[in-house]
Amino acid sequence: MTSGKDHIIRLSEVWTTYEGADLPVIRDVNLQIKPGEFVVIGGPNGAGKTTLLETIAGLLPVVNGTVHVCGLDVVKDGCCARKNIGYVIQNFDFHPYTPFTVEEVVLMGRFGKIGWLKRHTSRDLEKVASAISQLGLTSMQKNQIGKLSGGQQQKVLIAQNLAKEPEILLLDEPFSNLDMITREEVCNLLCKVADAGIPVLIVSHAFDALPDRDIRVVVMQHGEITQNQLSHPSKVEELVRSASVAA
Amino acid sequence: MLEFIFPNNVMCHAVEAMLFASLGCALLSVLITQMNISSIGFTMSHAAFAGGSVGAFFGYAVLPSAVLVSILTAFLMGPLSDRTRMHTDTTLGVLFGTTMAIAIFFIALMQGTGKGFDASSLLYGNVISLYREEIYALVIISLLIVIFLSVFYKEITAIVFHKRLAEIAGIRVKPVYYGILFLISVMVALSIPIVGGLLLYVWLVTPAAIAYQFCNTMRNMFIMAPVVAVIMSIFGALIGVQYSLPVGPLTAVLFSGMFVIAVAVSPKRKVVIHKH
Repeated sequence: MTSGKDHIIRLSEVWTTYEGADLPVIRDVNLQIKPGEFVVIGGPNGAGKTTLLETIAGLLPVVNGTVHVCGLDVVKDGCCARKNIGYVIQNFDFHPYTPFTVEEVVLMGRFGKIGWLKRHTSRDLEKVASAISQLGLTSMQKNQIGKLSGGQQQKVLIAQNLAKEPEILLLDEPFSNLDMITREEVCNLLCKVADAGIPVLIVSHAFDALPDRDIRVVVMQHGEITQNQLSHPSKVEELVRSASVAA
Repeated sequence: MLEFIFPNNVMCHAVEAMLFASLGCALLSVLITQMNISSIGFTMSHAAFAGGSVGAFFGYAVLPSAVLVSILTAFLMGPLSDRTRMHTDTTLGVLFGTTMAIAIFFIALMQGTGKGFDASSLLYGNVISLYREEIYALVIISLLIVIFLSVFYKEITAIVFHKRLAEIAGIRVKPVYYGILFLISVMVALSIPIVGGLLLYVWLVTPAAIAYQFCNTMRNMFIMAPVVAVIMSIFGALIGVQYSLPVGPLTAVLFSGMFVIAVAVSPKRKVVIHKH
């Protein structure tokens, strides 16, 4: 059995709610994730998957329990913890003429790490260029982000979070706007991230592009984790479906 | 300050006032248009109006009272929009109605008691009747805006782009956001005596709207908007004083004309068709 210190993400008896909600959205969740794990979070709509990611990222008020990421208490100081947390959000809607280029948006991912009153360095720009290149966005790095397609914008947000050099990476429906080939490319990229020891947690309903490696499957239902086990990628969809039906 | 260029005291006052009011307002206009909080202009104008009427009712000077209430409203604005969990624009709408009601209430009371209240200085402004201290205040707030934008440029751009993504990046969003709202409010309060609450909207929106027709990045907008605004405002002040025309309305019309031209020639509307 591993000790708590081996886990880079530790949620213990967590209850999370939104302001004005009648019931907690997440109830009594316990979850421990080790470095380099590839985690797929599944379950029906409204099960609390996105809320779980937002809780780990310290973006929501936790009414009970503790959430630790990289040893930091995200409930007490989410802002500090988020400097090491990559989080690709699900819903984004950029105005077509928003005056920001792809390069600028990717660089923004590093702003928290750069800190107050400091300017970006050549190392920051190197990381940005590398992330842009990894996502195949080099030819459009000077383009305005609002002029890109939904899939390209999603890739920009993934690049933004890779440039951040996170210690954990959370992705909410990262494949929803991507074509089949791009899905595979992004999935291979995420595999490399996990191989580097960074746990990757994905909320997804697209199970056809999962990497050929052991995957931790976490199934949520009514705000609770009903399934949490290692699985082969070919079994993930079946596991999520059966756990959802059983619950 | 600029007596060595404009020996005519009236002309000098007008140019100085327009120069610093347009510089600060134009820089902030970039944030206002990109953050979709343009109603902050008329909300703060009405806060000043309320302050002026309350001040007049209790026997205090109108302009200092107007500025004071505007600054108090500025302190309320950020925390209030957070506590209500609504768009800042909605909170501004509520504040607009409230301050307008206060203004009308006290004006009605004064009419009942036979007291007079000349609201024209707040509504229309008067660029040549400013005290030197008021111009110094404009210089200070404009400098503060330039310093604030320079020091927190990366945080500000991230927040303007997407507040949620800025938060995720590990930026402390609230203090910077409140700082932006506060600076806008103080700038509005100090500019009202110059161009008036009714026309101030032009200075808070049009410079960025013109710059937006030509710029693809925030950095370029922050350069172009104040350059355009300062040139137009000084030009308006010179023509207005020279020919005894009302400076504020004249400059506002010049801004609008420039906006129409900018839209007409904007490269953003260019359609490229490649025929093979």
